[in-house]
Amino acid sequence: MSFPKKPASKALGILQNLPRISLANLRPEPGAKKAETRRGRGQHGGNRSGRGHKGERQRGTRPRLGFVGGQTPFYLAIPKYGYNEGHSRRPQYQPLSLRRLQYLIDLGRVDPTHPVDLTQLVNARGVTVQPLKRDYGVQLVDEGADIFSAKINIEVQRASEGAVAAIERNGGVITTSYYDPISLGILIKPVPFFLRGQPIPKRMLPGEDMVRYYTDAESRGYLADPEKIQQARLALALKYGYTLPDISKDELYHMLSMRKDVRQIFFGLAPGWVVSMPEKKILKPTDEKLLKYYRS
Amino acid sequence: MAALRTAHPAVLRGALRLYIRAPGPPASAVGLRCVSDAAPQDQTGVPSESTEEYKFVERLVPPSRVPAPPPRAGPSPSGWTPPADAPPPLAYTVRRSRMHNIPVYTDTTHGSRRTTLVRKVEGDIWALERDVKQHLKEVMGTEPPTQVNEVTMTLKVKGHVDSELKEWLVSKGF
Repeated sequence: MSFPKKPASKALGILQNLPRISLANLRPEPGAKKAETRRGRGQHGGNRSGRGHKGERQRGTRPRLGFVGGQTPFYLAIPKYGYNEGHSRRPQYQPLSLRRLQYLIDLGRVDPTHPVDLTQLVNARGVTVQPLKRDYGVQLVDEGADIFSAKINIEVQRASEGAVAAIERNGGVITTSYYDPISLGILIKPVPFFLRGQPIPKRMLPGEDMVRYYTDAESRGYLADPEKIQQARLALALKYGYTLPDISKDELYHMLSMRKDVRQIFFGLAPGWVVSMPEKKILKPTDEKLLKYYRS
Repeated sequence: MAALRTAHPAVLRGALRLYIRAPGPPASAVGLRCVSDAAPQDQTGVPSESTEEYKFVERLVPPSRVPAPPPRAGPSPSGWTPPADAPPPLAYTVRRSRMHNIPVYTDTTHGSRRTTLVRKVEGDIWALERDVKQHLKEVMGTEPPTQVNEVTMTLKVKGHVDSELKEWLVSKGF
């Protein structure tokens, strides 16, 4: 067999010069296929075939898994306790590390000159949230807090203390806010919702179990008192040992202080409005009852 | 709508109180009244239209293409380095992935079989194989077995050596 020895096309050269590959001229590599051992085919008509000598082992009538000869088995002797009770109904939060957030900002997928929302994060394909799998949003995790150096106005659903400290240390603003599952579904996929033609609903307030978290200044909840939040910012700066930069003197102060209303899902769009994407128009209700309902 | 709003628990309770309706006429009478008194033409229900706030809707539309990263010189805080402006003068190139990253990937099969794959190679792949083997010998001390696939233009290396290969490719300027 002769084939031209070009530097980067040995395989193609071989293929071009050999006859057509078919089942008649293929063979496995020697040693690749090992013949299997068939049990019960040995000298004198085979032996016990690896099943042992008499008893349940050879006869294949062993009892079920967990049976211990009649004594109360371990899995029945230990009492039940609801460690995992309702585990499939617990709210879950997709983690977002500060390192990934920094990576998204560096690659230009997340724009730090506008407030960063869950919609912006999903549009940047930075996180994937599945509201139908009991996801209630995204949580900020402080992995990568030491390399994080971006000044952003970010809104998430949960945040660890270290993540809050890292964001505020760089002069940013972090808020934790609640989205009920329907509002969350609308928030992460706004375009399919607008194409439905329904008015933007009001965002529901958190339930009993979550009100406490979102009215707490330590967790920067959106329902907390702004003065207490300012005190909490100073306290966190003292705890983590950095000087809190004064954002009121920042040129991006207007952007950093932008926050959504409690009942608002999108920035700039109020509940009750219908968005018409083909006509590029927004229809607002004029009936007083509707206005009163959506303003409450 | 972008204004700050303080919501003390008292305000929350006030908001919730709006939902507790005062006892009114029975439901059947209300329904009949609505049906009989409603005029055929719309009275006050005409919605007002506006196009000024549509710019907020445009901000919510997800981009369909991967944005180009903002230009920078040197590595970013997250460790990402842009490719060099001029392609390095070598017999091969390793293109960036569509998300602008180095195309070196690790794989684990059967729980313990570790391989590293270098994809998107163009040019003389055998020269790349030689350089990779030499670099790994300097860095790791051993020369791991490699496999070149000329059809897909990929290079497979035994072991998890993705961090070493990524650093080396970035230092080359790919």
